[in-house]
Amino acid sequence: MLNNFQEFYNIIPILLIGAGFLISLLIEMYFKKSDVILPWFTILIFLAAGFHALYAVNSVSVIFQNMLATGGIVNIFYIIFTFGAAIVALLSIDYIKKYGTYFGEYYILLQTSILGMMLMAGAKDLFMIFLGLELMSVSFYSLAGLNRKRLKANEASLKYFLLGAFATGFIVYGIALIYGTVHSTSIDMIASRFYELSSDKLFIAGILLFLIGFSFKIAAFPFHMWVPDVYEGSPTTIAGLFSTGGKAAAFSAIIVTLGVLFTGRIGNILMPYLAVISVLSMFYGSIVAISQDNIKRMLAYSSISHAGYLLIGLAAGNSFGVAGVIFYLASYTFMNLGAFGIVALIEGKDESNLTLKSFSGLASRYPLLAALFSIIMFSLAGIPPFAGFFGKYYVFIAAIKSNLTWLAILGVLSSVISVYFYLRIVVLMYFKDAETDLKIDVSKTGLAAVIISVLLVIIIGIAPGTIIDLIAFFFK
Amino acid sequence: MNIYDIVFYLFAAITVLSAFFVVTTRNIVYSAYYLLFTFFGVAGIYVLLGADFIAMVQLIVYVGGILILILFGVMLTNKITSVEIKTGSVQVVPAAVGVALLAGILMASMVDTKWRSVETAMPSATTQGIGMLLIQQYAIVFELLGILLLIALIGAASMARK
Repeated sequence: MLNNFQEFYNIIPILLIGAGFLISLLIEMYFKKSDVILPWFTILIFLAAGFHALYAVNSVSVIFQNMLATGGIVNIFYIIFTFGAAIVALLSIDYIKKYGTYFGEYYILLQTSILGMMLMAGAKDLFMIFLGLELMSVSFYSLAGLNRKRLKANEASLKYFLLGAFATGFIVYGIALIYGTVHSTSIDMIASRFYELSSDKLFIAGILLFLIGFSFKIAAFPFHMWVPDVYEGSPTTIAGLFSTGGKAAAFSAIIVTLGVLFTGRIGNILMPYLAVISVLSMFYGSIVAISQDNIKRMLAYSSISHAGYLLIGLAAGNSFGVAGVIFYLASYTFMNLGAFGIVALIEGKDESNLTLKSFSGLASRYPLLAALFSIIMFSLAGIPPFAGFFGKYYVFIAAIKSNLTWLAILGVLSSVISVYFYLRIVVLMYFKDAETDLKIDVSKTGLAAVIISVLLVIIIGIAPGTIIDLIAFFFK
Repeated sequence: MNIYDIVFYLFAAITVLSAFFVVTTRNIVYSAYYLLFTFFGVAGIYVLLGADFIAMVQLIVYVGGILILILFGVMLTNKITSVEIKTGSVQVVPAAVGVALLAGILMASMVDTKWRSVETAMPSATTQGIGMLLIQQYAIVFELLGILLLIALIGAASMARK
């Protein structure tokens, strides 16, 4: 039993964000200059929570009557969420003014969505998974439709809400069946009885429904219909958060709930399901992305194919695969935020400059933006030495270790296809003449956010071994 | 088939049938009224299971509160009562495949499972137990539910603003 001080010390990241959003509400109410204070206050809260999680990564404990875990991979997820969100907030400062009028709720909902993600990653009980999911999703639904005057934003918000609620229904149904067979909502209980129950059809049906619900949230193939429309209609910075934080949180929920499957101690009975939707997502995303003309829709389809690569790591069902997935999520978060960040910088008033045409000849006028975007595209395509390559490398190796060589080969094939549409943009930027008269005033804070994410992509690419060892050390 | 079974199937039939009409009927006011029966049927099943507190909450919050709100919303919204809702079917084949798969999985697990049947005990009041759990074992869940409701409020307010 830990003493109380230690318990409070361990959950400081959650307390910080919980207190932070309440204080943000007050700032929004009482300060006239809240549009200047609030973004920086939000960034400060995220950074404080993130650095605390980094500093306390070793203090592994379970608190609140077996409800919440701290330390270890939980803290690694906290770091991914909070640093990602800090980059989103930094990007938003100028973008949100360009996008429409300023809304204080933007930063408040941003903080609560991160709170939901952190609760999902730290959950030790299905109640917490569900609450975290709802906290994240409700914030996301409102963030997607924040600008009510735009028809596309309304469509995005409503579509996300209806399909998200439908997916949550699946998850709750799954949780009900799991509770019915395990007689407990505790994840430790589920883990310890998983082997004996794995021949129980009712239990498997519950697990499958649970996974189907989360397949919606991670945007895997048969459950992806909402992704392109929602990304296109939402503010670009928020679409970046959906595709990174939202996806990472859903994966963290799958990993904490079904973690015992992926340790290699018992057979991975869900391998067929995971492998099939993984292959479908990879190829569907990569092939459909080729025909997209809108950059946000293209990134949406790329996000679907990345969900496929990530699922390979789970289908492999060994601890190396899970470590690979977490590493992949970390690198994917920063490179995708960089990509959406550049799109947000280039985007003009009223959704202009979002077609691929706007990118042709970019290198001659904005060489820095073109160079940064090229690095991100190379990383997303999985070309060494950037972070994206190592993410794919680790999940493919994990698949080969579990005798799923065919899955790794299909993964490589799909990433070869995806190279086409990623590098097409690089070719457009460097080797084509400008087709449109593109004039943008690059925001300083936005540019700083993009530079930070590109630096992180490069750093992760330089020292992947240290990070993967750290993750593998905590996930045994 | 004893009286317990008959009551259960009665409530189950009310729930499922009225839920079916909620989605198929074309008049939005009729839909709202059918929803009343769905909530009522669910409340009946809760009573049958001995969950007295949840049954009362279901009646007070859903039947009494939310449904009346929906009806007022429908009636006060200008010209909405006469709107014919478009109900049609698109993507019939994929939907049929999906539903068949899901139904197959659920039926297979239903047939396969050895359901425990226990003697129905005299139900006792559950309110005190729920209260104790909410402030002890599930204290953090209780707190977070408060935050969740606050977020829903903020989200709804930001959607409804000018």
